[in-house]
Amino acid sequence: MPAMKIQISYTGRSYQAASLLPAEITLDDGATVDDALCLLKKDLSDDQQLPGSCLVAVSGEHIGTLTNYTNRPLRDRDELILIAPVAGG
Amino acid sequence: MQRPREASTVTSTSTNAASDPAPSIANHQEGQGISLPELSAAELARYDRQIGPGVLSVEGQQRLKASTALVTRVGGMGGPASLMLTMGGVGHVIIAHGGDMISADLNRQVLGSESALGRPRAADFGDYLRTMNQFVEVEAIDHEPNDAEAVELATRCDIILACPPTFEERLRLNRAAVHAGIPFIDAAQWGMTGTLIVVKPGETACLECLYPEPPPFEEFFPVVGAISCATGSLAALEAIKILSKTGDPLWGKMLTYDGYRGNFTTVQLQRRDTCACCASLG
Repeated sequence: MPAMKIQISYTGRSYQAASLLPAEITLDDGATVDDALCLLKKDLSDDQQLPGSCLVAVSGEHIGTLTNYTNRPLRDRDELILIAPVAGG
Repeated sequence: MQRPREASTVTSTSTNAASDPAPSIANHQEGQGISLPELSAAELARYDRQIGPGVLSVEGQQRLKASTALVTRVGGMGGPASLMLTMGGVGHVIIAHGGDMISADLNRQVLGSESALGRPRAADFGDYLRTMNQFVEVEAIDHEPNDAEAVELATRCDIILACPPTFEERLRLNRAAVHAGIPFIDAAQWGMTGTLIVVKPGETACLECLYPEPPPFEEFFPVVGAISCATGSLAALEAIKILSKTGDPLWGKMLTYDGYRGNFTTVQLQRRDTCACCASLG
């Protein structure tokens, strides 16, 4: 099955956690955001999991938060963006 | 159409605008039928570098003069934001911030100084802003607005810039702006990262579309002053663009600058059709 390369971008609060995540993942053609996030979660221990309020976007389009997003198919070279909420003043 | 400038129900200090307050263009972005205030020769001289091709028109500058902006709070981000709005010629700048100045604020709070340590921030910050532009009316409120105060303040503003350290306050200000139908800019930071969200009520996602409940956030967040200043300045730039009708505001977008890695990210935000704050606006 052909493979897709998906870029991973994590920023916002505790942006240093991005070092725990791969910069790029490879998924089978037809894979979805669900598939990508499941793969990423496997890279994180229980105490490293990303906050549920983390914003999720695909190639610049917001699709919800980790706890409530609209699943959608990914395309080769999409960027999966995760932004942990920030409120510092 | 003008909005009345009724007395605030919150504590405010003296103002020093060099002329009578300009009529607010509150919530009238189209500006139909509004008589914009004239700019004096001294004002035109002051704003000479920001009027011209690629920046503001004379009418845009007049629109700024006719505008009222609320900035709360005015620490790391709201400080530079209110400073840029004041220096840029927004006619009426209202700032709100409670508490006394402490040493740890001085890595980022540009309106403060070592001589202000131990003193209430609002009065000092307001005084400083007044020294920066005699043509601007500055109103300083010595506490963070509660729900009712936020709603009241929003009715006499054209825009709100939210720069507080909690989601509760941000969501309160967002609700007040949406209720009043005025633009809302949320500026936030953590460490070396800053985010900006620009809301047009009823047309774009609001802050509550993103966060129906306040996400957990620590009271003592890490912050490098340079990111505060940069994020606050970007918030002010968006406000100036919106108020003067210049350029393309970041309506409905979240701009993130990850200063740790040097990456800018822009995300188009989606409205949430069950949003308790703005879904009823269509």
